[in-house]
Amino acid sequence: MQHVDDIALARDACAGSRRAFETLVTRHYDRMFRFACQWCGDRTSAQDIVQEAAIKLARVICSFDGRAAFTSWLYRLVINCGIDWQRGQKRHAGSGGDAEALGVAAEGSAEDALHARQVLAQVDSLPAAQRTALLLVFGQGLSHAEAAQAMEVKESTVSWYIHEARKALGVKDGREAAHG
Amino acid sequence: MDDEKLKQILQSRTAQPDENARKEAINLALAEYDATATQRNKITPNIFQGSPFWARLTGRSNKQRREPMNKKLVYGGMATAMVVVMASAVSMQTMPRLGDSTATQEIAGEAVPELNVADAAKPPAAAPADEEALERWRRVQADSRASKSDLEIFQGLTRNLSKEGSVESLAESSAPSTARTEAKRMMAPPASMAGAAPAEMAVIMPHPPLDDVSPYYQDEGRDKFEDVKVNAVKQVSAEPVSTFSIDTDTASYSVARRMINNGALPPADAVRVEEMVNYFDYDYALPEDKAHPFKPVVTVMDSPWGNGRKLMHVAIKGYDIEQSVQPRSNLVFLIDVSGSMNSPDKLPLLKSSMKMLLGTLKADDTVAIVTYAGNAGTVIEPTKVSERAKIEAAIDNLTPGGGTAGAAGIEQAYKLAETSFDKDGVNRVILATDGDFNIGASSPDALKDMIENKRKSGVFLSVLGFGLGNLNDHMMQTLAQNGNGTAAYIDTLNEARKVLVDEASSTLFPIAKDVKIQVEFNPATVAEYRLIGYETRALAREDFNNDAIDAGEVGAGHAVTAIYEITPVGGPVLVDASRYAAKPEATKIEDASNFGDEYAFLKLRYKLPNEDVSKLMTTPVTKANETASPSTDVEWAVAVAGYAQLLKGGQYMAGFGYDDILTLAQEAKGADADGYRAEFINLVKLTQTLAK
Repeated sequence: MQHVDDIALARDACAGSRRAFETLVTRHYDRMFRFACQWCGDRTSAQDIVQEAAIKLARVICSFDGRAAFTSWLYRLVINCGIDWQRGQKRHAGSGGDAEALGVAAEGSAEDALHARQVLAQVDSLPAAQRTALLLVFGQGLSHAEAAQAMEVKESTVSWYIHEARKALGVKDGREAAHG
Repeated sequence: MDDEKLKQILQSRTAQPDENARKEAINLALAEYDATATQRNKITPNIFQGSPFWARLTGRSNKQRREPMNKKLVYGGMATAMVVVMASAVSMQTMPRLGDSTATQEIAGEAVPELNVADAAKPPAAAPADEEALERWRRVQADSRASKSDLEIFQGLTRNLSKEGSVESLAESSAPSTARTEAKRMMAPPASMAGAAPAEMAVIMPHPPLDDVSPYYQDEGRDKFEDVKVNAVKQVSAEPVSTFSIDTDTASYSVARRMINNGALPPADAVRVEEMVNYFDYDYALPEDKAHPFKPVVTVMDSPWGNGRKLMHVAIKGYDIEQSVQPRSNLVFLIDVSGSMNSPDKLPLLKSSMKMLLGTLKADDTVAIVTYAGNAGTVIEPTKVSERAKIEAAIDNLTPGGGTAGAAGIEQAYKLAETSFDKDGVNRVILATDGDFNIGASSPDALKDMIENKRKSGVFLSVLGFGLGNLNDHMMQTLAQNGNGTAAYIDTLNEARKVLVDEASSTLFPIAKDVKIQVEFNPATVAEYRLIGYETRALAREDFNNDAIDAGEVGAGHAVTAIYEITPVGGPVLVDASRYAAKPEATKIEDASNFGDEYAFLKLRYKLPNEDVSKLMTTPVTKANETASPSTDVEWAVAVAGYAQLLKGGQYMAGFGYDDILTLAQEAKGADADGYRAEFINLVKLTQTLAK
């Protein structure tokens, strides 16, 4: 089990095994990067966020205590770095013009692309908690329980966020698979 | 649009990671890993010692990052709201939030308190619109998650508690000025409770920005309460005898008060009627002489909620020990300094509380401090209170971090208490914790065995609970009940003063232990009875005379109340008479009627603190005990018992509501020198709004 494996690696990394730490970072970099992309919507910023998260991980690896899944814990780290990044954006508002905006796969009709862009804009205007829950559950495929760990809230709260987000986006409530 | 489409769109916003960027990130992380190696190992050698110390010790880079954030607080909707969520959210474990927490605190505190309501506290919160939304959502969920969901929602509701601190006024606190300053720093501004709408109550009181803070541990929704069934109505003909241990704990009231003040009704399992009733002080009659530590006084009155039923109110008041003749105290503090205690309402509050208690001790008393986190350790050996500065320095040096090896700590604390054991004094271990024992013997049963063994050493145990969100109420109860001890819950400095200063003598000096009550009802006069509360204290009939069976202790000046609801013969019975057992009953009742107007016969057993053989007191309860105008103290106890039953679901309250409780309580308030009763009345009003 990767989960168990992660815990062992984290323990070794904390105890001083550089190799274990490297394995952890390498293993999870891509996943974190994809999440950061969804979170901030551009590649350069996503790289910055994940880099920051990786550096932070080196410092806090010992505070992982195995109670949550390692990946959930890691998502939380990335979310925190994302928040920092956003704060920085606000501070230097306007200077981020060279950002490489992502989104909307190339294939499909122009109409589809337009629709997708509209949806993403709507997603970005959701209350932050709902947006994060949505990205974790729909974007990353986490269960509500895992998302709850990553967001440090109760599982029922995540369900509620998702419910609210669905409503705001006009998504039909199709009893999502990850539920429960 | 459906879920699939949304998923697809969300997942389309991504890119292949750039190989160079990837390498760079990994290399930088490894460099940081190497650079922090010494700190890492020094601070947290064990992975399970999740340690918020990081914030202080991460050094250069962290510090640099923190500063610009502190200076400039420009936040917009999304980022801010998210930050608030993170700030108020519950830590499942110590979070790698690091230095940002300072900034986070500031944001939560200064920039956008209103957002707390709007977003962060959403499911729990209480802005009216949100409440509607939550209600709707609840209904949607109701079918699939029937009974579980409410508890979960409740748990969600409690999540901001540790952040909020207290809403009680500190104005009348007589705490020493240092403690007061600390309290002001720790606690939120006072808010008026009277008639406050839930919306107001749920607004998260911002913390002032703290200097040198580590990211406070915040927890939510993992409070553990034992599942308890409410005492049922018993038929006197089938089960004429009721036996229970007295309970002088008060934890349940302060826990419930805190939850309600935070805008959430406590779960039924968190409410113990007897602890709510016994939270208050009563001027019950004292024994005429010192031969007995107390005497039971029984009052029979009409039940305010049960038509045609009566209440049998049993009151015990222990004599108080005068300051000058108080025995010497040998106290060992066992302090939980695990990571989860790192919250303003936990360790800092505990430190202030301990200093307050020091002020009430005599120069001759000894104090020792043992901490437990990853390892149990003695902070200070038994030291005379005359060396107060030394003890205070030790208190100041307590810092949180690590897991919780509670069992090892208990072991060590008892050992210390035994080394400085004073045969003529009071030897007591005072355990302060949020109840989380996650290392070592940690099941309530394993600890129970251990504590039971320790009890034989003659050392008493007090359990002080702190914080919410991770409170293990069940564990606290188990410890206190099996260790000749009491449990109190401390949520504010004011409560600390009540428990440790005002009631120091009852908290510290037991005058009787293993106090058990047995009541036998007379089937000729009483058809049914129901013990209100004491569910967790029930004893078997034969346990009453068995001195090996542990029961509750009574401290000096303690008032203890137990209330039965009885249905007189001919009254509105709930249990139908047995068709076939009718005959033999008749003869029995014939015999019983020889006892005339006796309702019941009350027996009480207790041991003096240093003795192992119990003494017996008995008193018949007759029509002479009945009164149409009970004392205000008795009425007050009844009002509190009624309120507690409503909180537990009120299945026997027959429509008697919070309004009626208020009327009853207002009439019975009495002098109320300390204001606790006025506070209760406000609490009822608040509950009424919340329960609507």
